[in-house]
Amino acid sequence: MTGTAEAVTFWILGSLSVLSALGLLFARKAVHAALGVAFTMAILGIFYIGQGAPFLGVVQMFVYSGAVMMLFLFVVMLIGVDSSDSLVETLKGQRWLTLLLSLGLGALLIGMIGRITVTGTPNLNAINASPGNISAMAEVIFGKYVWVFEITSALLITAALGAMVLAHRERMGEKPNQREWARRRFQRGEFVSGLPAPGVYARHNAVDTPALLPDGTPTELSVSRTLQARDQVARPGLFSAAEHDPHQEIEEGSAR
Amino acid sequence: MTTLLPTAFTVAEINYWAILPVLIVFGGALIGVLVDAFAPRSSRHSIQVALALLTIAASFGALVWKAVDNKGATLDGAMIIDGPALFMQGSVLLLSFLSVLLMAEKFSSAGADAFTPMGAAVPGSPLEAAATRAGWGTSEVFPLALFSVAGMMIFPAAGDLLVMFVALEVLSLPLYLLTGLARRRRLLSQEAALKYFLLGSFSSAFFLFGSALLFGYAGSVKFSALSQAITTAPADVEGLLLPGVLLVLVGLLFKVGAVPFHQWTPDVYQGAPSPITGFMAACTKLAAFGAILRLAYTGIDADRWDWRMGVAAIAALTMIVGSVLSVTQTDIKRLLAYSSVAHAGFILVGVLAFDATGVSGVMFYVLAYGLATIAAFGIVALVREGSAEASHIAQWSGLGKRHPVVAGIFALLLLTFAGIPLTSGFTAKFAAFAPAIAHGGTTLAVLVVIGVLCSLVTAFVYVRVIVLMYFSEAQGEVRALNPSVLTTVGLAVAVILTVALGVFPAPVLDLANQASQFIR
Amino acid sequence: MTNPYVPLLFFLAIGGGFAIFSVAIAPLTGPKRYNRAKMDAYECGIQPSPQAEGGGRVPIKYFLTAMLFIIFDVESVFLYPFAVAFGGLGLFALVEMVLFILTVFVAYAYVWRRGGLDWD
Repeated sequence: MTGTAEAVTFWILGSLSVLSALGLLFARKAVHAALGVAFTMAILGIFYIGQGAPFLGVVQMFVYSGAVMMLFLFVVMLIGVDSSDSLVETLKGQRWLTLLLSLGLGALLIGMIGRITVTGTPNLNAINASPGNISAMAEVIFGKYVWVFEITSALLITAALGAMVLAHRERMGEKPNQREWARRRFQRGEFVSGLPAPGVYARHNAVDTPALLPDGTPTELSVSRTLQARDQVARPGLFSAAEHDPHQEIEEGSAR
Repeated sequence: MTTLLPTAFTVAEINYWAILPVLIVFGGALIGVLVDAFAPRSSRHSIQVALALLTIAASFGALVWKAVDNKGATLDGAMIIDGPALFMQGSVLLLSFLSVLLMAEKFSSAGADAFTPMGAAVPGSPLEAAATRAGWGTSEVFPLALFSVAGMMIFPAAGDLLVMFVALEVLSLPLYLLTGLARRRRLLSQEAALKYFLLGSFSSAFFLFGSALLFGYAGSVKFSALSQAITTAPADVEGLLLPGVLLVLVGLLFKVGAVPFHQWTPDVYQGAPSPITGFMAACTKLAAFGAILRLAYTGIDADRWDWRMGVAAIAALTMIVGSVLSVTQTDIKRLLAYSSVAHAGFILVGVLAFDATGVSGVMFYVLAYGLATIAAFGIVALVREGSAEASHIAQWSGLGKRHPVVAGIFALLLLTFAGIPLTSGFTAKFAAFAPAIAHGGTTLAVLVVIGVLCSLVTAFVYVRVIVLMYFSEAQGEVRALNPSVLTTVGLAVAVILTVALGVFPAPVLDLANQASQFIR
Repeated sequence: MTNPYVPLLFFLAIGGGFAIFSVAIAPLTGPKRYNRAKMDAYECGIQPSPQAEGGGRVPIKYFLTAMLFIIFDVESVFLYPFAVAFGGLGLFALVEMVLFILTVFVAYAYVWRRGGLDWD
């Protein structure tokens, strides 16, 4: 029977889950859509626990929200999908065809499954009482499904091998250590004491602040090449502008 | 309805002798992964090849020595080691042994010739070139192939839907990876891998959904319980049966490449490294037909009047589409792919006979087809223009004059595919079609007529290639490479067995007949 | 009998209320005096760039880490019921679990030896 508290939980979490599921449909950024799904999955996990299936609930949280959705996020971030990508369909009429076929499948399944009659209120009370929900799970995993359990490990190994083979670039040759770097510098005779460190200013010191030469010009040697390539090196003037012109500072503040 | 949960924990009875062949393959694959982790790079290739061959041979030994005397259900019915299962497992081991021999071919490369030196490098990048110069290789292909073999051995022996599903994944995941590791035409290979993976996961989802519906229907995932539930017909959940059966069949028919679930076949066969294409075409088809037989004969046979017509229609479509589209192909690997689609249709006709002779016919067919396919893709890997495979059919013109042996073997294999009398293809078609006519009524008689007509169409295609090889002028610098001893042995064994199955099929047919009884 | 949902709801209400309160009170009570330095990244942080390189793609290396995480995550899903029911399962389950863990650790050894765990 549905108690008041259960009903309240349902209505609060249910509406939240529907909202975040709608987020999947209407979010403009793929990352936000993925987060919406993760949130829906987490709420489903709470529902499972509320329905007396703690194992399913925990696994839902653990694997779906924790792992699978994170992988989704990673993939979205890897391929860098954003709203600037074209959403125009490449196959004409595909959308309508999909809709038609989906509706057909839905009608078929509803038609067939709708013929089922269920007697009584199905619940897990009996199972949860005698061996306990999670223990019952353990008993089937290590009992009649032990073979499935063991061969699942083959899937995990294959996944690891696959990730390594397709995504891991092995180093060609050894990675140079400090000793090797020092040797090379002395051999070449330049930067014998190492490259200059980034600049330390009164209000800021970061990897993107270049060190200043005696004449006040910044030296590019002190900033990582990656930041230079991305055009992310900070201009030294940025950090002294406020001192030069306090009036502008006050004006800007009062304008807000 | 059986109870879902045991009252007290009981350990499943395990007959280790019966599953020893599978355990050996798993063990070999694990050792292979460790070899890749700890052995020095220079010796990895040789160790892996030796290990894989040894593992498969040991597994075959265990199968012949012990498993044949330990028939029956084990692991609480999760594995059913019976005649068909043993026949299929033995055939998978034989075919994969030959495939590994072909995969190991190095030619002038430092690593296996068919596989990329570094799968993670961007195609055509300096890193890839450096890896090639340094003589790197992807020796992981051998443990991956072994994992796949283990999955293929479990697939036809699975006693319930859950084991069947996990076996399906265990055999498929390594194949998705192997497809993407070709050394040449990397982009095509990666595209093929992605397509195979996406469509494969899609079909797995169908299988899983169907399994869930059948579980709801029978209250158990076991085939024996499912079969029993169909005869006692629980009326209140009856609506779950047919959608469940159809969805599970979709998952399995995808693996054999039956129309309309065949779209992946040409792209994947073309993109994958040729030895892998041979392995995939032969062994996957074999294992998947083993699984289809198991499901159709021991799980859902009582309900067959509901779904038989649907599968018959799929068989007819598969034969027609496969043979008609093979006429238009210009790429030799795509041609063989459509031929494999057509063959899937021929084999399905045998499956629908619902008789022990049908089982033995199907088993003989997949073995004969597998041997010929592995040899054919072995030959495709040899014929090169420059360093790349000469996969366009026009490039094969005049091959008969330059390389009479290679062209002769290929012509023989094509005639086998066509099913010319005195080849194994003919015997196989006869073994699959005869029970269909004897036990299948008018429907199957019509299917057999379609099958014979489609065989004629495909025969035309194959003969056209043979004519091209022998009766037109050679052009370009196409030549056949000299294979190493291992490859030569692998090819020779496959070809000799193909010829033997055509000329003296009786021993293997007898064996298949003896092994055609399912244990429920 | 107290409904088990009541404490859950209380917890939810208190937690949510505290979060909303903390966020809402700061802009209402805090002093607002503008200073350009307040807009800067904190001391040693670098200036955020308007558009990340390559449309904000992250390197494939992260994928490897995510994949390895999932593998061991799935392994722990099996460990969970095993640990809860261990008392009633006996030696057989222990052996099976150890076998399973060893198998997955073969993959771990491979990844470690091949430098999959190095970040360079």
